[in-house]
Amino acid sequence: MKVLNKDLGSYKLHLINTDKFKTVTVKVVFHTPIKKEEITKRILVTNILLQSSKEYDSRRKLTIESENLYSADLGISNQRLGNYITTSFNLQVLMDKYTEENNFEKSLDFLQEIIFNPDIENKAFKKEKVDYVKHDCLVKLNSIKESPSKYSSIRLGEIFDSKSPISYRMVGYSDDLDTIDEKSLYESYLDMINTDYVDIFVVGDFDNKEMLGLIKKYFKFKKIKKPKKSYILKNRTFRIRRNFAKEEINNTQSSLAIACPVYKLTKYERDYALVLGNLIFGGGADSKLFKDVREANSLCYTIRSFYTKMDNMITIKAGIDRTNYTKAITIITKKLDEMKKGKFSDEDINNVKEEFINALESLDEDESMMINDVMSSDILELDDIKTRISTIKKVKKSDIVKAFRKVHMDTVFLLEGVLDEED
Amino acid sequence: MKKISLKGLDMTLYTESLSNGLEIYMLPYKNKKNYYVSFATRYGSDVLEFTEMGKKNYKPPLGIAHFLEHKMFEQESGEDPFSFYAKSGTDCNACTSCTCTQYMFWGTKNFNKNLEYLLRFVTHPYFTDQNVKKEKGIIAEEIKMYNDIPAYKAELKLRNCLYKNSPRRLDIAGSVSEINKITKEDLYTCYNNFYIPSNMFILITGNFDPDIACEIIRNELDSNDRRKVPKIKKIVEPIKVNKDKEVIKGNVEIPRIGVGLKIGTKVFSMERFELSLYLDMMSTIVFGDSSLFKERVRDKKILTDLGCGWENIEGISTLYVTGNSIKPDDLISEIINEFNNINVDEESFNRIKKVWIAREIKGLDDIECMADNMCYDLIRYRKVITNKIDIIKNMKFKTLKDIIKKIDFKNYSIVKMEKE
Repeated sequence: MKVLNKDLGSYKLHLINTDKFKTVTVKVVFHTPIKKEEITKRILVTNILLQSSKEYDSRRKLTIESENLYSADLGISNQRLGNYITTSFNLQVLMDKYTEENNFEKSLDFLQEIIFNPDIENKAFKKEKVDYVKHDCLVKLNSIKESPSKYSSIRLGEIFDSKSPISYRMVGYSDDLDTIDEKSLYESYLDMINTDYVDIFVVGDFDNKEMLGLIKKYFKFKKIKKPKKSYILKNRTFRIRRNFAKEEINNTQSSLAIACPVYKLTKYERDYALVLGNLIFGGGADSKLFKDVREANSLCYTIRSFYTKMDNMITIKAGIDRTNYTKAITIITKKLDEMKKGKFSDEDINNVKEEFINALESLDEDESMMINDVMSSDILELDDIKTRISTIKKVKKSDIVKAFRKVHMDTVFLLEGVLDEED
Repeated sequence: MKKISLKGLDMTLYTESLSNGLEIYMLPYKNKKNYYVSFATRYGSDVLEFTEMGKKNYKPPLGIAHFLEHKMFEQESGEDPFSFYAKSGTDCNACTSCTCTQYMFWGTKNFNKNLEYLLRFVTHPYFTDQNVKKEKGIIAEEIKMYNDIPAYKAELKLRNCLYKNSPRRLDIAGSVSEINKITKEDLYTCYNNFYIPSNMFILITGNFDPDIACEIIRNELDSNDRRKVPKIKKIVEPIKVNKDKEVIKGNVEIPRIGVGLKIGTKVFSMERFELSLYLDMMSTIVFGDSSLFKERVRDKKILTDLGCGWENIEGISTLYVTGNSIKPDDLISEIINEFNNINVDEESFNRIKKVWIAREIKGLDDIECMADNMCYDLIRYRKVITNKIDIIKNMKFKTLKDIIKKIDFKNYSIVKMEKE
């Protein structure tokens, strides 16, 4: 793959050339510092843009148009990245040689129609559409506990630090719904279009000059905007005494979630040593947590640890029986201490180095992974792939131990399933 | 080795059959770094009872096919497959469905050794009382995890209403009490009867050399031991639904609903793949994202989420329409109303054909998706369908109308899940 990054003033364009796919993928990403009170509005804005546009005044007409464009797949998502919220519009469409001439350009026009030409009247979204997306949002908020694993992650963030963006619910807040009307929602939309920082990524087999012309033709933003605030969160000081919290749920399984904030990492530790350390600790089926908590003690089916660089956080998640809670915590704590004491082998290190290098070497087999890497490289100022691979090879056990000593188990949350097994 | 062209996709499928009956299907790519390999047996949770080789009828505890899948990762050497594959940064996993159990690995390096290892670990079981006991706690947590998902629970209840005898009424993983009965002897019996070359196949897609892959498989597995699959007890499922309606309680804030339409397929004189396309076309036009139905229920605010899917067993195809709604009874009425006034239009028919052809081409970019599609074909049709695009192109609107005329739209079951 070849990447061309171009600063077009009001947005950055990233052209990723590869002949591996029969499709072209276009992703338009809006970034802005996250504010708790704006999350619900952002969710409604993105949902309402998918309901209709000026030219296609119903969800059905929008869907029919995407089908007519040979199944031009369109998706919109909101995500928190550290201190920021990102809103992504993703379009994937077959190359013209598999469809018909200009099908790609028509698809690009379709994408810009959805982003720039909303279905409004009198400088406000239409009431019936706003009512629909508010209703939809409320229903999703009300069914939040139906996914115990997701709900336990949300509650863990809130208990860890209720003031930090880590605690923000990316499904929105029901109290905010009452304060949003057609006008305020449209203002929120305008705010996104006019003030958010924008990246556009294009992945596929195309001529860069032609693609640059097409993107410039369909995507015009007025202001020049540059992100100033860092994406990386600074966590509050860790608790000396761990915080244990529980909440009951009418389930048979309990969902365990543990927050382990990380402090004062160097860039090298953030990008290399702790990534490898986390893979050894709880990255997959060959990890310490999997082998001990699941395989040796039969306490769970799922267990994993996730390292989120932008949150300076390692989160441990497991599905357990509530009677095994204390035992599970004891083993997890022991495994974390062992990482800090360097109780892992050279083979463990070599295995995760291979895994990490393989993932980097095969980035170009997946469009979304390529885009994520280009975007993270930009935000976190990552080294280029070649440098990353050569640096990974040089990481020493002492580097991993040093990084892991900066990890602190702070908050333990159990979403306690109180029902007995139904047989 | 046979070479078959995948029509309209500019790809060649390589196939080989060993003397012991093992089948090999290989789809090499020129521009990929990665590969995906699956070693599969036609054995899943649908097998409830069978006649052992030269012995009596045997009825193992429920969930045994899935339990067996977990236990195959136990090796006498003490090194489990996860650890072996980790050395080359390769991923591996396994899965069990109603009809099939698959062992897979995928990565970019060490293809030859990784393939050899897969063939060995799947053909060398190692079950002990201790390692069987250990697995029970893990699988119990897996069963509980799924049982806590309201959508899963509601669908299982719908299966109970639709099917009277079919194993599709049951959870693939069994129940906690059933898996607690499983012994190492049970596992060996099932393994020895179903993990035999004539009941298995290997799928490889991505970056590899078919000649080398075939050679490795021959060296490891070729033999003249062409054993027969045991006689599986046939279960006759009536076409009529088992129960019309059931209302259950669940851990939901927004009620869930499910409507299942059970269709006898023996009245249709057409290839099973073609028939499945026409049935899918009907449900896509009627309940799909661009349907009038979806627009109507969305406008009435009685829809939050709605999904559609088909399941096939011998002589029966079942349509599942599932979702959630704050007005579940209204949504159910709307679905039934659609059944009573089924209507398809030619414009949508032609547009959906276009979408499906585009998806066939898009799917080719994903080597795992291609392996999954071939696996589905091999289980359901006993062959890989190599001319899907042509078949889609040749679909006729009149045929769809004729098929719809023969469907009994009154043969449905309803499940409603309300808040506890």
